[in-house]
Amino acid sequence: MDEKREQLDWVAAAEVEGEKPPEVPPHGPVVWARENLFSSVGSGILTVAGLIVALGFFKGMLGYIFGADRKWDAVATNLRLYFTQAYPEDQYVRVWVAVGVAMALAGLSAAIWRANGRITGYKLGGGSFGLAGGLLTLLLLSPFSWRARLIYLLVALVFIGIGQYLRSVRPKLEVPALGVIVGTLAVLVGSLWVVPYGKHTFVDGQVQPPRPGTVAMTTKLPWTVMLLVMIVAYFVGKAVRDKVSPGLAKGLLSAGWMLLLPIDYFVILRDPALDYGQVFRVDVPIFLAFAVAGSAILWWLSSPHRGEIGRVVAGAMVIGAGVFWLAAAFGLSVRQIVRIDLVMLAVVALAAPTFAGEKAIRRKFIIGWVVILALVNYLAMMVNTPSTVDVPGSFPLGGFSLTLLVASATLMMSFPIGLILALGRTSKMPIFRLLSTTYIEVIRGVPLITILIFFKIILNLFLPDGMVLGNEMAAILGYSLFSAAYLAENVRGGLQSIRKGQYEAAAALGMSTPQTTSFIVLPQALRAVVPPLVSGVIATFKETSLLFIIGLFDFLRIGYVVVGGQTAFVGSQRENLLFVAFIYWIITFSISRSSVQLEKKLGLGER
Amino acid sequence: MTGLESRADMIVCQGVKKWFGDFQALRGIDMTVEEREVVVVLGPSGSGKSTLIRCINRLEVHQEGRIFVDGIELTNDLRNIEKIRSEVGMVFQQFNLFPHLTIMDNITLAPIWVRKKPRAEAEALAMELLERVGIPEQVDKYPGQLSGGQQQRVAIARALAMEPRVMLFDEPTSALDPEMIKEVLDVMKELARTGMTMIVVTHEMGFAREVADRIIFMESGEIVEEGTPEHFFTNPTEDRTKLFLSQIL
Ligand SMILES: Nc1ncnc2c1ncn2[C@@H]1O[C@H](COP(=O)(O)OP(=O)(O)OP(=O)(O)O)[C@@H](O)[C@H]1O
Ligand SMILES: [Mg+2]
Repeated sequence: MDEKREQLDWVAAAEVEGEKPPEVPPHGPVVWARENLFSSVGSGILTVAGLIVALGFFKGMLGYIFGADRKWDAVATNLRLYFTQAYPEDQYVRVWVAVGVAMALAGLSAAIWRANGRITGYKLGGGSFGLAGGLLTLLLLSPFSWRARLIYLLVALVFIGIGQYLRSVRPKLEVPALGVIVGTLAVLVGSLWVVPYGKHTFVDGQVQPPRPGTVAMTTKLPWTVMLLVMIVAYFVGKAVRDKVSPGLAKGLLSAGWMLLLPIDYFVILRDPALDYGQVFRVDVPIFLAFAVAGSAILWWLSSPHRGEIGRVVAGAMVIGAGVFWLAAAFGLSVRQIVRIDLVMLAVVALAAPTFAGEKAIRRKFIIGWVVILALVNYLAMMVNTPSTVDVPGSFPLGGFSLTLLVASATLMMSFPIGLILALGRTSKMPIFRLLSTTYIEVIRGVPLITILIFFKIILNLFLPDGMVLGNEMAAILGYSLFSAAYLAENVRGGLQSIRKGQYEAAAALGMSTPQTTSFIVLPQALRAVVPPLVSGVIATFKETSLLFIIGLFDFLRIGYVVVGGQTAFVGSQRENLLFVAFIYWIITFSISRSSVQLEKKLGLGER
Repeated sequence: MTGLESRADMIVCQGVKKWFGDFQALRGIDMTVEEREVVVVLGPSGSGKSTLIRCINRLEVHQEGRIFVDGIELTNDLRNIEKIRSEVGMVFQQFNLFPHLTIMDNITLAPIWVRKKPRAEAEALAMELLERVGIPEQVDKYPGQLSGGQQQRVAIARALAMEPRVMLFDEPTSALDPEMIKEVLDVMKELARTGMTMIVVTHEMGFAREVADRIIFMESGEIVEEGTPEHFFTNPTEDRTKLFLSQIL
């Protein structure tokens, strides 16, 4: 055993020494090439062959992209159409406010979650070399004018210089990753003010010949403001983060992200025409009634020794709420918001025993109820008020923003549904198991496009009188139900990876099934399936392009049909398709990169 | 122990029988464990030791006979079960810590959510227990960053944080490297000294001899012999016990 100890000590000592690797003299590119590309005759031949193929491919690609007769004006002129379709010019500030809210949340989140990753000078230098390499490839293979090539060459040389400096002089330099990201964004936004990208505009539906100069004020000003909003939000977050409890701050921010979509869409972009008389006569009183009466009931239910009678009352409330919905289906209608509030109260009442106990906990429980009630009632009111935004057609958004809206709404809705299905399919209760399994197998057996068409055509027939779902909403609903089935199967994989000992340990501590599921099982199961979940997110995002087929004006349709069909840009379909593909790629590539980061972060605690 | 003062019965098993399919794992167990008593259960592999103590907090369900814990009978009533489980702490062979939670969260989770303790109070208790098992400095780590012996001591602290009246140990040192066994046994000895009622399944004969008030020897789902360590190790009466002892000593 002593020997073993010694060995262990020896290993440990070696590890300590290993922290400072001997300084390897930096390899030049020649050494690297000899070791990696030309280590033998065979590999040399393969390298050369591969190089020729790659060169040919890139030359063809770049020759096409930068060819003199390419109609990139079609894209440049139609950027607004691409991103928001026909959102009215005079209300466009709403779009920027909607984006601004997201930017502010991003800045605050970076501060509150202490995004403090660092990048070394060595790595930055590598990035700089990479950029230079890209530029050199570009200028060598693209059909540029000599003047343009000279400019590109100069820029590339600057990057090589920076890279060389960082690698050889300051390799140990550490810069905050956040700074690098914001710096890059600042350079991009700043370039809008100085680089003559040219002005491409429509005036009264007529394409204007492109004018030289920087981009229009309506583009560069808002983006500058967006960047500033994000930076200011970061510093605000940094200033307050030590003064508030981290749990509260993170909770509020998470809630903010969850609410971003409905607030952005229903409140900011739709601009509902509120009738304040109606609001104060009906909506506010209903809210107050539920807030006061609901709180009283919940306070009573969560008293520590309520016991059996509490469960009976809560159960009765669930049944009561169900009856109201049934009655509504048969025409005897109680106001929809009242029915929604009743269901919420009943569900929360069921949870009351979990929060029974100390006064402080019960008080938080009641506050939680009032806050959720207020949010739901507010949103329901906004949803039910008609929009004042003046657009052709029924939906205020189109193009990229529609794609983004459908994808995010689908993800947000399919996540909880998928979780419930996965838990149902693995539950011990046969009814839940049967229902979930049937649902999943039926949905997975049907092509997505069938479901989308089905929802578009059929859904409105099933809805109660007077309620109409737009095609966009029908698509979101159908798509969510579809994705939920796939998500459920992914999550189920995670659930099955949890060892029996985890359930037994939780049971031995007296934890109930809901507690075990939410604190022990789900957190571990979800961690285990991050990679397939991210694939799911990417697939969901890309497959929104099927909206094209059911006739919605999503990003793809705008590019392929609308812009491609403009008389000024006849025959520009290929350019538009390339642009659409490029934007899709940027987004999905960023998602997959950030998921790698997420995996690294989650892996840390487990090991 | 003097055995003079009369002590309450903590655990009572009457004719407990248990089948896995057609296979009978427990063949009518009668056993009583008094308050503050330390009982060590010995027996060859497959004799039903784990099954017996797992029946006591209903990780396994017995089909015949009755089990009482602190006067409450184990029935299918869910609230009874959760009540008993929070009174009975259990330590597993494989530790079964929650790998996604820090040591602190591992220990405080159940007190906060099951016992409804305020967080500050639960954390103070957790620190006190970690001192007691000798690893307060590990509080912010994750289980995967601890050695086996340290993990098992955390598992003991986690069970103690529920302030149980009985502790069940199912081969707590069997998954440990030899040099870590002692640190866990020391914690258990200390626990026994403070008067905790304990049922321990183990193959550590030294521990049994030193700490047990009573030893129960099981084979094929039955209690073959029981008595004080002195009786058990020096003049066992049953042949099967003698055979078992000759094999392991
Ligand atoms: N879940 C189960 N299903 C079927 N048979 C089981 C199950 N659990 C235990 N058994 C059987 O019951 C018998 C008693 O098992 P138990 O685990 O109680 O033995 P043990 O005395 O703890 O043995 P060991 O010292 O190996 O842990 C064994 O024959 C075992 O195969
Ligand atoms: Mg066993």
